[in-house]
Amino acid sequence: MEVDSENGLLQRKQATYQSLDETFLIAKETYKGQQYSQIYFARLHLMRTMLYSLLPTWKPHLPSCTVLGLEQGKECVIVGTLYKHMKLKPSVLDEYSKERSASPLVQPCNFLHSDDYLVLEDESGRVKLRGALLLPSIYVTGIVVALHGKETGAGDFEVEDLLEAGLPHQIDRPLNSGEDKFVVFVSGLSVGSTSANPLHFQLFVDHITGHLGDEKEQGMAAQIVQVVIAGNSVEIGRGLLNGQNLGSKDQSKLSEPIKELDILMSQIAAGIPVDIMPGEADPANFALPQQPLHRCLFPGSAAFNTFRSCTNPHSFELDDVRFLGTSGQNIDDLAKYSDATCKLEFLERTLRWRHIAPTAPNTLGCYPFTDRDPFFIEMCPHVYFVGNQEKFDTSVIKGSDGQVVRLVCIPKFAETGTAVMLNLRNLECHALTFGSQFDS
Amino acid sequence: MAETAALGIIDEIHAFVSDRLQVISYKWLSRNLLVSSNAAKRLLEEFVEKHGGGLAVIYSLSGWLKSNPTTYHIRLVPSHMLSDAKEEFDGKCSVQVYSIQACLPKDPATLWNHEFVQAEDLFKQPSTLDNCLRDNRFCGVSNSFVKRTVGGTPLGTGSLQVKSTRVSGLSSSSIPQATADPRSIQNNFQNAGSNPGDQAPNTAKPVKTEGNVKPDLAQIADKEKVPRQLPNNKKGQNNKNSSGSGGSLASMWGRASAKPKPDACLVQAEKARQGSSAFQILLSYLYSNITPKKHLFSGISQCEAQISARESAEHEISDDDDGDKAFSTRRTSNGEGSRKRRAVFNYSDEEDEYDNAITLGSPDPPKKSVPCSKESLNASTSECNLSFEEEKSKPKIEEEKEGDVKAKPKVKEEKESDVKSKPKVKEEKENELKANQHLGENIATVSNDKKAGSPTSEKTLCHVSEKDASTKNTMANDVPKRRKVVKTLIDEKGREVTEVVWEGEEQDTKSNNNNSAKIAGNSTASNAINRPPAVRKSPAVGNTAPANQAGKAGNKKAATKDPKQGNLFSFFKKA
Repeated sequence: MEVDSENGLLQRKQATYQSLDETFLIAKETYKGQQYSQIYFARLHLMRTMLYSLLPTWKPHLPSCTVLGLEQGKECVIVGTLYKHMKLKPSVLDEYSKERSASPLVQPCNFLHSDDYLVLEDESGRVKLRGALLLPSIYVTGIVVALHGKETGAGDFEVEDLLEAGLPHQIDRPLNSGEDKFVVFVSGLSVGSTSANPLHFQLFVDHITGHLGDEKEQGMAAQIVQVVIAGNSVEIGRGLLNGQNLGSKDQSKLSEPIKELDILMSQIAAGIPVDIMPGEADPANFALPQQPLHRCLFPGSAAFNTFRSCTNPHSFELDDVRFLGTSGQNIDDLAKYSDATCKLEFLERTLRWRHIAPTAPNTLGCYPFTDRDPFFIEMCPHVYFVGNQEKFDTSVIKGSDGQVVRLVCIPKFAETGTAVMLNLRNLECHALTFGSQFDS
Repeated sequence: MAETAALGIIDEIHAFVSDRLQVISYKWLSRNLLVSSNAAKRLLEEFVEKHGGGLAVIYSLSGWLKSNPTTYHIRLVPSHMLSDAKEEFDGKCSVQVYSIQACLPKDPATLWNHEFVQAEDLFKQPSTLDNCLRDNRFCGVSNSFVKRTVGGTPLGTGSLQVKSTRVSGLSSSSIPQATADPRSIQNNFQNAGSNPGDQAPNTAKPVKTEGNVKPDLAQIADKEKVPRQLPNNKKGQNNKNSSGSGGSLASMWGRASAKPKPDACLVQAEKARQGSSAFQILLSYLYSNITPKKHLFSGISQCEAQISARESAEHEISDDDDGDKAFSTRRTSNGEGSRKRRAVFNYSDEEDEYDNAITLGSPDPPKKSVPCSKESLNASTSECNLSFEEEKSKPKIEEEKEGDVKAKPKVKEEKESDVKSKPKVKEEKENELKANQHLGENIATVSNDKKAGSPTSEKTLCHVSEKDASTKNTMANDVPKRRKVVKTLIDEKGREVTEVVWEGEEQDTKSNNNNSAKIAGNSTASNAINRPPAVRKSPAVGNTAPANQAGKAGNKKAATKDPKQGNLFSFFKKA
């Protein structure tokens, strides 16, 4: 009959999806001119209550007091927000001291200095922290911790021990799933940029939708149940955005990357559920939590019920496996203000501090919430990812209560041609790379 | 038939490649000839076997990499590099013809161009048309749960209409099949029935198959409505859903309009709370410890005071102090007067000032107060250590007499915060102090937990103050130096609260915030208060805890408070 009667057509696997992004939406918030003290207070209040509940198991013999109530020489536990005083931290006033230009000022990547010190604050006061245990290079402003120590004669607080919030409670994921289902993570597509090779993205699309490859490969592709695009999907030339009026030609240049992305996204969405998160370079708002990219940007893709525009940070559940992740701004900010051997360490720290973005709103743009802090991690995810990193990296961390979390660093696709595939059955990850080589 | 068809195809392919010098990728071919991708690949393979002599062929290799076992790699290589590339793969890798072209392109991206142009054309077709791009019919993996909605209605009937949409315009006779994926189309059709019950577009996919005008609409509604619905609806290819869509559209408009509005009531509540904040500030000052060591900016006490004050103000529950009730009632009545004044100096940098629409007024220029303060400074130093509470009460009471009913809470706050103001005020109002002293004492005692306050005395204080209200006006004229200043503090919720407080004297009314800001800046825990060196009335008085906005955010913002506002803790002796 027909040349290609594909009666043996493979069926794609399905998975139940539930979005948990509600806490990151700011549609219901009203801005009355408030500043950031309220989000800090909400954070302190929330985490202090939780830390107080942990104190009896940690140091039951010690009393807890506020910064105000410290007495010299008396050992106690204080709970508050850490503030790191950094010598090299850039001040907004520098912008005005130099000539204003469209491109941002070039800044050093890391602002650490050996003279940085930590201060603990609660609503009563603040006290400078000393102690060999406390390395300022690890901590950043905005974390809430409990400290055991005593006040010195100089008025500082000598820290003997430190308690972080630790991993939150985790619901066990179902272990009975027998079949392999994959989730594909990709970020930094940078469609429209001159350095990104559109062929690789097309290969990616072809592979996951099942066009490319032989039967075996298409069988693998049929096991992909979800695609997550973690930010920076377009790159709009900054040269056009210098505040001048654009002619019609320039205007079409502005919108072409998005149109191209829409065409490619509709190819994906026609076959697989896809979540797209906004990133730093995307046409979305700047302050975290970034709101979903508007549907009008994707007229073709948005028609599909498989297309979902999500917030950044993004949290969802797939077959009862809980995912949480961001497009990279929080980890990049941590990398600027603290030190670690690899990005996975930052990821682990944010989990142990139970806060996705502790540096918000200090150095990371953030919405001034009045009564809650949405970045507080209430339930431990099973998979914690961050997008737009330099290379693919993954590890598993374990919590004190038996929590198991897979950490994933998603590399920038435009630079590395690498996407990440995660198996829902056992939370194992592997990389999916694309290349083309025409010159020998 | 297959053979003749194949021959025809092969001729076409040949024509494409040789005559038009196009890059023929399998995808392009599949869309062009309306065959599935796998079939297109097979065709290409045959072509390459038979006629591929003069053509450059690019293969796609895919498999697990030898070097990194956890990487699945897909690579495009030209034929001459095929064998080398195969080496890199661990085990068997699948080799398929990706594209054929007249010659190898220098830039890999050119491979993509031709295909993309075709995709773009398909994309630009009217959205009601379900073409191969949109339903992914040619791929090897089908997904029956994918649904596409146009204008709020699923493409049920629409998909059936698309038979052989050909981009390239080859004669359809040579092409065997048209709608390549009848299964998916049928699924779409089946799913076209509306299912109003389904409200969760994000939940399990299988749910979607049940049907979904509403779910899709809900999904669209959730995503905040797309204007395309209107034009698409007009096209109305989906007869069965047209009425449904009309109704749903209307419902969507309704939903859109019923968005949550800015919390007007919330704002009001906020204002109410802020209105009572001055009172709380006063209480908080009184509550705060006077430990020399820490930054005492009212610390716990402030929070407690604020909480208690707020609660008492709002719910008429006196938490720590019965006197709060009296205060709160007075406060609300005092509320109005302060709003009429205008601030003379604007040191405070709080933005919620306008939010609260509180305006400060000062009847006289502040300069006069300076010399006064100096004198009083000398005079008061001795006194400061004495009847501490009396002093504290004085400015308060006198400020009350300023004729501003609302002044009372502010006065209290100022009293507590501006120890400096005391001496000056004291001097001016010597004669009236006696009665006031008593009151002030009561106030001080009452509001301070530590000093056994007597609620009754506080109440009497209130009454006395009220009586004196009439004299306030006169006092106002006599005391040019007093004026209202704005103070900001962090309340129990971590909000920045702006209080309007009478300041007896500029120097006195150095805001504690100032101190706190300084201290915050220094970030030292030393209790040697880094008070601004300027005129400070009673330095001997426990200038301990600067009235910090202990709020971390506040400190981090490095709020610079009004230097003229006095320090509450100048009222207290070093404990």
